[in-house]
Amino acid sequence: MGGQACVFYGAAEFSRDMDLAVLAEAANLACLRRALDDLQAEVIAVPSFELQYLRRGHAIHFRCRHPHALRMRVDVMSKMRGVDAFPRLWKRRTTIELPDGTHCELLSLPDLVQAKKTQRDKDWPMIRRLVEAHYFQNIAKPNPAQIRFWLQDLRTPQLLVEVAQRHTRLCRRLISTRPLVAYAALGKIKQLEQALLAEESTEREVDRRYWLPLRAELEKLRHAR
Amino acid sequence: MIQPEELVGDEWAEWYRLTPVQRWLESEKLWQTYLALGGSLDPEPDTQSPFFDARAPRPRLAHGRAGVRVLRRGRI
Repeated sequence: MGGQACVFYGAAEFSRDMDLAVLAEAANLACLRRALDDLQAEVIAVPSFELQYLRRGHAIHFRCRHPHALRMRVDVMSKMRGVDAFPRLWKRRTTIELPDGTHCELLSLPDLVQAKKTQRDKDWPMIRRLVEAHYFQNIAKPNPAQIRFWLQDLRTPQLLVEVAQRHTRLCRRLISTRPLVAYAALGKIKQLEQALLAEESTEREVDRRYWLPLRAELEKLRHAR
Repeated sequence: MIQPEELVGDEWAEWYRLTPVQRWLESEKLWQTYLALGGSLDPEPDTQSPFFDARAPRPRLAHGRAGVRVLRRGRI
């Protein structure tokens, strides 16, 4: 769900870790444990590799010792802020086949964008790139779901204006969920830029608050070690 | 209709025009180069991540030096 998914969808990230979203169930974790054993992956830091932590929204961090993936980090999560539960993510996933026949399951683009709405600086330009790339790939013949996705998640003022002014009815319907599209419909770029910044800032603050209890729990676990 | 070049410049526009699979393959090439140059798979510390622990020990490289080093540098 991390860097390689971003590359696939149109952003560019040279991410040296691997992020996995998994279904937090005992049988599934047993399979994952076997796969991680193949990579000679060991848990680093806290929390330990237990169902309860995944279900509470923590990430479990591993480092691989296998010579082909030496020191590679693997982060495993099951629950992400603002993102649907795993069964829905799985239904919407993108499956790709690599030249050697390996299949990779990626978060769908809208779910990846949602997962990237964090407190970190680096995630916000990434979201912009991801949605821009999708826009340019599909602008010739977009379907209603794509137009809705753009109106909900584009972060490029000029493109938002273009979509909002071309699809006024849908834009009007989305004003209640994303008020800044009203500026886009009116072509008010300055106000739109400010509203986008405010939107980002709010989302980052929400993410910080979401993590406060989880960070406190991590701190306790670190001290208990 | 706005063109990608107007917004993001030629390089990004070219990247956007690749298919997802082409982008994946291009990034694989970058990986191969990076690893061939001795690049490490250790991720950079992400100080803004909620998981970041400033006190956590960082793994040392086996040979005690960075995988990619500057051998020559200009004055500026």
